[in-house]
Formats: sequence, C-alpha cells, structure tokens
Amino acid sequence: MATRVGIVGIGHTRFGNSSEYDLADVMAYAATDALQDAGYLEKRKEIDQVIVGNMASGLFVHQSAVASSLISRMDMEPVPAELVENGPASGASAIKIGYMAIASGMCDVVLVVGGEVMRKVSGWMATDIVATMLHQEAEYNMGLTLPSFGGMFTRLYMEKYGLTERDLALLAVKNHDNGAKNKYAHIQAPVNIEAIADGPEAEVVNNYVAEPLRMYSTCPVSDGAAAVLLVNMDSPRVKDFKKKPIRIAGIASATDTHCVHNRTDPLQLNAVRIAAEKAYKMAGVGPKDISFAELHDAFSILELAISEEVGFFERGKSYLAVRNGETRIDGRLPINTSGGLKSKGHPVGATGVSQVVELVRQLRGEAEPGRQVKDPKYGMAVNFGGFGNNVVAVICAKE
Amino acid sequence: MFIDFSQYEVKAPKIKAFKCQSCGAIYYPAPMICSKCNARRDPVTGKGWETFDLEGPCTLLSWTRAWNLPEGYTKKYMLFGIVQFENGLRASGRLEVDNPVIGMKLTATVIESDERPGKPVKVFVFK
Repeated sequence: MATRVGIVGIGHTRFGNSSEYDLADVMAYAATDALQDAGYLEKRKEIDQVIVGNMASGLFVHQSAVASSLISRMDMEPVPAELVENGPASGASAIKIGYMAIASGMCDVVLVVGGEVMRKVSGWMATDIVATMLHQEAEYNMGLTLPSFGGMFTRLYMEKYGLTERDLALLAVKNHDNGAKNKYAHIQAPVNIEAIADGPEAEVVNNYVAEPLRMYSTCPVSDGAAAVLLVNMDSPRVKDFKKKPIRIAGIASATDTHCVHNRTDPLQLNAVRIAAEKAYKMAGVGPKDISFAELHDAFSILELAISEEVGFFERGKSYLAVRNGETRIDGRLPINTSGGLKSKGHPVGATGVSQVVELVRQLRGEAEPGRQVKDPKYGMAVNFGGFGNNVVAVICAKE
Repeated sequence: MFIDFSQYEVKAPKIKAFKCQSCGAIYYPAPMICSKCNARRDPVTGKGWETFDLEGPCTLLSWTRAWNLPEGYTKKYMLFGIVQFENGLRASGRLEVDNPVIGMKLTATVIESDERPGKPVKVFVFK
C-alpha cells in the first residue's frame, strides 16, 4: 500500500502589501503559524525536511538562498532545507516534492512554505519579472506579458463559446464575495455588478488591462506566504500532532509547450487536464466526487477554462454555470471559496500552498462563517505555472 | 575621395525558422530535438538543419490591446497577436493594424527593438 501523506498544520499571512518586511520573515510568519497549528513549534528541529516554494526572490527582492535564510530565522538548524521553483506553481510543486520525500521513505515530517514579496518593485517591473517565465526569444522579447496571453485566450474563448465581459464580471462578484469574508485575503471587499459591468461608471471603475480582460478579471500583485506541515500518516509520529491529518489523496503535475502559439488548439490546457486526470486516478475519485475547488484564476478566464479541463463542466459551458450560481459558496460546486487569486491575491510563490491551506480549512470546517462549504469530503486545487505549461493538481480528503 | 556608403548598409533583421533535413519537419522557435524523427540539432554547427526567414503572409488567430506594459515600454498601450503562416508555423508578436479582427490576413515583418536594457532584440510586427 502506498504511503499515506496528511497535512497536520497550516499557516498563512494576510496577503497584500508586506513590502516593508523581509521575505524570509514573511515566510517564517506563515511557517510558525503552521507549527503552532500542529502543536509542533517546540519540536521544530525534529522536522526531517523543509521545502520552500518561491518563484523569483532574486528578481523581486534581490535575495537568493531563501530556504537557508528561513531556517535561521526560525532557529531550525540543522534541518535540511531546499528551494523549489516552478513559476506561479512553485507552491504546489513544493508540496508535491514534500509528498514525494515522505512517500520515498526518506522523511516522515516535512514543512512546506511558499512565499513571495512582489511589491518592493513597481507594478511595471513586477509585470516584467513575471513575464520572464515566457519563452525568451519568441515571447518575452516581443514585449508580451502574462496578461497579454490572458487577453488573447479570453478573446478566443469569447469568439468560440459566446462568453461576455459581463460573465467575467460575475466571476469577480462571486470571488470578491468569498474573499471579503476571508481573513487572509488581499482585497477584503465585495464588489457589485452595477459598479463593474452594468452601471454608467463601469468603464472607468473596471478599465481594460489586456482587452478584453479588465481590472476585475485580473488578480492583484500581492505579497504573502503560506505553509503546510506534512506527515507520514502511517508513521507513529502522527500521534505527535494536535490536529487530525487531512489526507493528500492525489497530487500530480504535467507540462505543455513553452510557447503558447505552438499548442494545436490554443484553448486547450493539456497540462491541466493531464495533471487532474493523474490526481483523480491516484485519489480513486472523479470530478463528481469533488465538493469544492480552488482554481488558479490569475485571470478570470482561467477559472472557467480550468473548471472545464478538470471535468467539472462541458467545454464552453462553465460560464453558464456561473450565471446560474452553481459555483457560488451555496451552489452545487463552490469554486474559489477563498476568494481565489482575484480577491485573495497572488504572491506567485505562495499561491499553491495557499490554495491547499484553503482546502484544509474547508475540510476541517474552519472557514469563516458565510464561506464554509457544507460537509465537504474532497477539495481540489489547481496551481497553474507559466501560461499553463507546468501545472499541479492536488486533491485533499477528509478522513 | 570616394566613400563607399554601401558598407554602412544595415541588413534588415530576420527571424529564423528551422527545418530538420532528416524528416522535413519545420519549427519556430528552434527545437533541440526533432519531435518527428528525434534528430538532434547542434546550435553551434547547425549540421543537419536548414534555416529560413519566417516572414510574409499570415493569418491573425487572436489579439489583445495591452495597457499594462512592462518596465521599459513608454507607450500608452500596445497590440499583440498570434498568427499562423502559410506553412503552418505560428508566432507571437506585435500587431500594427487599426481594427484587428480574428482571421484577417496580415504580413509579418521583423524589426529590432531596444525598449529594454541590453542588446536590441528581433521582434515580429504583424501589419
């Protein structure tokens, strides 16, 4: 039987502007939260391995070797520590590597921390740094950015399936409703459809970022960190923790072409579909078993496209489910209960870990009133690296 | 005194596509291994591979007007698009048309761009 891996501790900073703080301190705050949550702070030097997810600290804050830095901030020497980088999917990749460390038999207890401080640089520079994950010669050098690809993807989807800008605004309303109740969210404020789509000032309030994507269809630039403490559920050490584990039932990743233009069908996110299929198979479940999901809505269109690729909805039909309220917190399949990247924020290296923290909060029944999913059994997270060229899917289960 | 101004002639910038001589598969940008026949491409010698200029007629597949340009770009906004060439290759680049429409016929040209620090880079402009 395969080793069972569970999450016994979670930690999270409030996402937003932490640019006055050192990245290692921001990550240490979330990590300490996770250790306290697990009742393991005093035993932290007994942790077998620390894995840090971070995308670009060298560019954003001119800092390298952040895993080593984190260890020292937390007085955890000589615990081994390494960094995992997979663009905006660094966080979930770090969890996957942590899972593999336990499944390999090398470790029983692994601390995974994802973090990023992006707001020390200007918005223009942050856009440029994130764009460095594109193909340098064929995309980055052209001046293309991630929002540009989000805009082109959205236009194609609209042309093919009839999606409207108002539909995207409805997603923002839904996600801000959830984020407004999430103590960790960057933007803890609801928005209404009048203000961002229907009203006379909507064009000004909700201006274009990369047409037809508008500001309320695009995530903010955020700082923050999140952490999870993983344990081998079949080890006697599982009794050392005060919280019952939430099991990682499935975790998998897949890749796609680096250049977006080289995909046979630019609207198909193959890496999402394959990662999800592998995670479902590992968990022994299918899309119908999922109670709620955290999907990487760096651009609102991605929440729709990912929800179709993982099998929640037919291709081209997910926006109709949003119109019907099916993905609201009280709907048939709540999506982005945390507020998603749109409202909760998107510190790139932290996001994948943050998504899994949300799965654990929901499965434990610890989400804030008004955004707790009723009796969830399986939660799914999809963390999207590049423009879909390296994607991680995670399924967590309540035991 | 005769001055040969031709020595100052600036060659038009080109972007190269690649053809595997073993199986005829074409690529942009350059691969290191042919996905059809697994032939290896040595970027130093180029042996076993041909190059050709990627330019000329193409069709617009999608486009955007980007308002949040990265550091170094001083324009208010820029248009970008993805096109398909007649040989089936696709490319991403800048778009210079007034009213872009998916499916419209364009011509791909190449310029040198120096918006960012460092050496100028070659950029597709679809007109």
